[in-house]
Amino acid sequence: MNTLSKMDKVLLAGLASLAVLGIFTLYAAVHHGDITIWQKQNLFWLLGMMSFMTVCFIPLRSIGLMTWPLYLIALLFLMMVPFIGDIQMGARRWLDLGIIYLQPSELMKWTLVFLLAHWFASREPASLISFSAALIATLLPAALIVIQPDLGTALVLLLAACAMLLVSGIRWRWIFAAIATSPVCLYLLWNNMHTYQKTRVLSFLDPQSDPLGAGYHVIQAGIAIGSGGIFGKGFLEGTQARLHFLPEQHTDFIFAVLAEEGGLIAVLLLLALYGTLISRILIIASRAHNRFGSLLCVGIASIFMLYIFVNIGMVSGMLPVVGVPLPFISYGGSSLVTMLAALGIVMRVAIESKDKIPWQRPGSPLS
Amino acid sequence: MLNQLDIRPRFEGRMVTFQIILAILLLLLFARLVNLQLYEHEGLLLQANKNRINVVPLLPTRGIVTDRNGIGLAVNHISYKVQMIPERVEDMERVLQDLQHLLQWNDQQLGNIRKRISHARNDRPVLLVDKLGWKHVAPITARLHHLSGIDVVAGTHRDYPYAELTSHLIGYLSLAEPKDLKRHYLRTENVGRSGLEKVYEPLLHGKPGSQQEETDATGRRVSVLKQVPPTTGTDIQLSIDIELQQVASKALGNRTGAVVVMDVHNGKLLTLLSKPGFNTNRFITGLEHEQWQSWIKDIRKPLINRTTQAAYPPASTLKIVTALAGLRHGMPLATGSTQCPGYLELADRKLRCWKRKGHKHVTLQKSLVRSCDVYFYELGDQLGMQRLTEEAARWGFGEQTGIALTPETRGALPSPEQQLRNGGTRAWYRGETMITAIGQGSSTVTPIQMARFTAAIANGGKILVPQLLENSEPIVLRTIDVKKAHLIKIRNAMRDVIADPKGTAHWSLNWTPWPIAGKTGTAQVIAMAQDDENNQQNKTPILDRHKDHAWFMGYAPFDNPKVAFAVFVEHGGHGGSDAAPVAAAIVRQLAKQEAQQKALQVARQKNIETSPL
Repeated sequence: MNTLSKMDKVLLAGLASLAVLGIFTLYAAVHHGDITIWQKQNLFWLLGMMSFMTVCFIPLRSIGLMTWPLYLIALLFLMMVPFIGDIQMGARRWLDLGIIYLQPSELMKWTLVFLLAHWFASREPASLISFSAALIATLLPAALIVIQPDLGTALVLLLAACAMLLVSGIRWRWIFAAIATSPVCLYLLWNNMHTYQKTRVLSFLDPQSDPLGAGYHVIQAGIAIGSGGIFGKGFLEGTQARLHFLPEQHTDFIFAVLAEEGGLIAVLLLLALYGTLISRILIIASRAHNRFGSLLCVGIASIFMLYIFVNIGMVSGMLPVVGVPLPFISYGGSSLVTMLAALGIVMRVAIESKDKIPWQRPGSPLS
Repeated sequence: MLNQLDIRPRFEGRMVTFQIILAILLLLLFARLVNLQLYEHEGLLLQANKNRINVVPLLPTRGIVTDRNGIGLAVNHISYKVQMIPERVEDMERVLQDLQHLLQWNDQQLGNIRKRISHARNDRPVLLVDKLGWKHVAPITARLHHLSGIDVVAGTHRDYPYAELTSHLIGYLSLAEPKDLKRHYLRTENVGRSGLEKVYEPLLHGKPGSQQEETDATGRRVSVLKQVPPTTGTDIQLSIDIELQQVASKALGNRTGAVVVMDVHNGKLLTLLSKPGFNTNRFITGLEHEQWQSWIKDIRKPLINRTTQAAYPPASTLKIVTALAGLRHGMPLATGSTQCPGYLELADRKLRCWKRKGHKHVTLQKSLVRSCDVYFYELGDQLGMQRLTEEAARWGFGEQTGIALTPETRGALPSPEQQLRNGGTRAWYRGETMITAIGQGSSTVTPIQMARFTAAIANGGKILVPQLLENSEPIVLRTIDVKKAHLIKIRNAMRDVIADPKGTAHWSLNWTPWPIAGKTGTAQVIAMAQDDENNQQNKTPILDRHKDHAWFMGYAPFDNPKVAFAVFVEHGGHGGSDAAPVAAAIVRQLAKQEAQQKALQVARQKNIETSPL
């Protein structure tokens, strides 16, 4: 059986549907403005699918070998940011590597998932030593990201790590302990937050308090979503989107465009597609031949889920405004390509789980 | 080493927990969206429409006012105004500085505008500057994308080409005030405040329309959804001849006074001039407090319309009324004669004639022509106050003329009963009747009443309502029952005021193109102690504000009356030498216009005759 035929068809179909929905939604968001954004995104889809296909052919064993070096490189970049990073919108997040403009926190998010999957694949998660090591491997980059400051990514990183710890089987009492200490952490966090971050949180708690300032985005997005109703205003007919009431409507707030023009029906469709995609990733995780593959899938699924929840939660006014893209719908080349590459890894897990003869050597950490 | 089989069940269990958590998260999102899109849908849809739909009033174009020849007296000019919606301004300081640079405001103007912005509502347009020409706003429109919240709106502004000349007649506008907003005016609309602008406000104003505009997030108009066009106000053509008014104004010079010229047949007013005037154009952009105060405090009282709102002693012009009363009641003196030694002795007092040496033998004709006081003292004494007042009232004094230009004063006609009724304890003296008979008592008349009275003499006793509109129908209030012979007697006397070399207006008016009939009047402002001989010997220079008022009333041409006029010069001196020349200028102008018209007609006639067809 060749690799292509062993691909998971449900995952492919889900991805294809999301691609179509994403391309249409982005068109609606930019058709009255800069249409080249839409054209560029189509190009990114091609690039992303190429990376997806490429990753499908990389054996999991090779990925496993790459986890530590990748993690260390990401950590190095992250430590370099405070010294040589570019400042954008008051935060140092970007690193100019000559050919690519890299956001090390993005890289860290994925490599941490790989590292934790690799770590717990061969260790007893209930042991204090392995748990502590995993905790340090997580908290070190998280702390570096917080001081950038980029709370959103740090939170996604921490929560993805928590999900992996949960699934890998750490003791419940540690989880409860973490939950119990979180108010203290939140208090410390609040005291160390920048003013703009505080106003974001406050405007989330009461958007009407500053209707033209920080709360403006949330209010206008809420109006867009709510005015869509059940059936929506029709494709390309959203007034909030067309008349530029929506901020960042082709990136972080694109969900509002979809909800305004497509109504609850489109929202339902999107959530169903996401649900299908994530549950399929988890099914692949269950069917995987090894723990590394399973945990990789779990980590990737939790990152997707966090993106979806934080983005839609933010746009619909449930959560504070943090810069997180809506997977496969928001405009943005690097995030689309990375997410498609991550899906490629999931697909690789699915492909390998169909191999009749496992390739692992006994005694290998991947067995 | 880890035993895969050992941890497999725990992994399965944790996977279930994980899946449940993910499902809960998805359900949470779904619940939130159902709430927004199902339960809050209506309210949010309303907000979305409010977001995008802006109802903008469309101001009507105000009707214009022209004179009888179509010359604009109140017109509209296209102009631009710059307004600001404060909440849409991103950087107020920068925008104001840019505007200051572009419009060259000084610091005080900038301060005023700042004040206006801070007092205004945040989400409504605030007017920054008005009446700008295109060359002033062009640089602003070019930079509009840098000036968030700023908008340039084209519109019209009112202009009075003859502001000083027509200030009382046309009046002025000013921006709507809170009390006008209750009458459904918009804040950016102008409302007529005085003169015809106020009287004909409902006609001139028109009806505002509205426009539903779709606006984007920055408040810029994207499209027009629905439009109700405004209704333009009605244009008004006045019977006023602005050229004639100009001539009258020139003849008055910078003296204070009033000139009324009326068509004797239909009551149409050709001139209604009150001086001094004031620049009504100053009101359009909002008058400075200092300017308004200076007009209010001006001793010459420029804001009063002297043609209708001010009443003055009629002086010798009232002798015509006394004469008419004498003829009507068949007084022997009216058809007889008396001697004027220059004074009349009444008890211990001496009532003087203006001519110290006296007029010797006087008849009614001679007394009118030379304005003998003694004759009319006696005639008035014979008639009594009752008849004098009654006659004056018959000819339209002491009542409002009914001119559309309100408010109007009625003047005063004294009577013995009235004086007692008003709480006067003093009885009516005979001398007072005699003084009243020569127009020097407490009776007062307005120039418009005087013009109408003159017209009634010329048209055979028809009391007309003065009309201001060119296409108005004449309204005859009443036709006075007066014998034709009496009128002819009066008219002839009035003609001789000019024609007789000893007439009081002979030197001023005898050489006008049209023969004029009229009467002079000189009203004393302060009592010149008529009995005090000494006072006459050491004549002190008279202050301007103690100088006599000058009247001249009359009509022309004598044989075929067309217009009647009343000229009043406040502290002007003598009726014959100071007021009559104004009438001369008017008659000259009217004759010139008639000649021009005739020449035009002849030329046209010739054209028709000589044309090959």
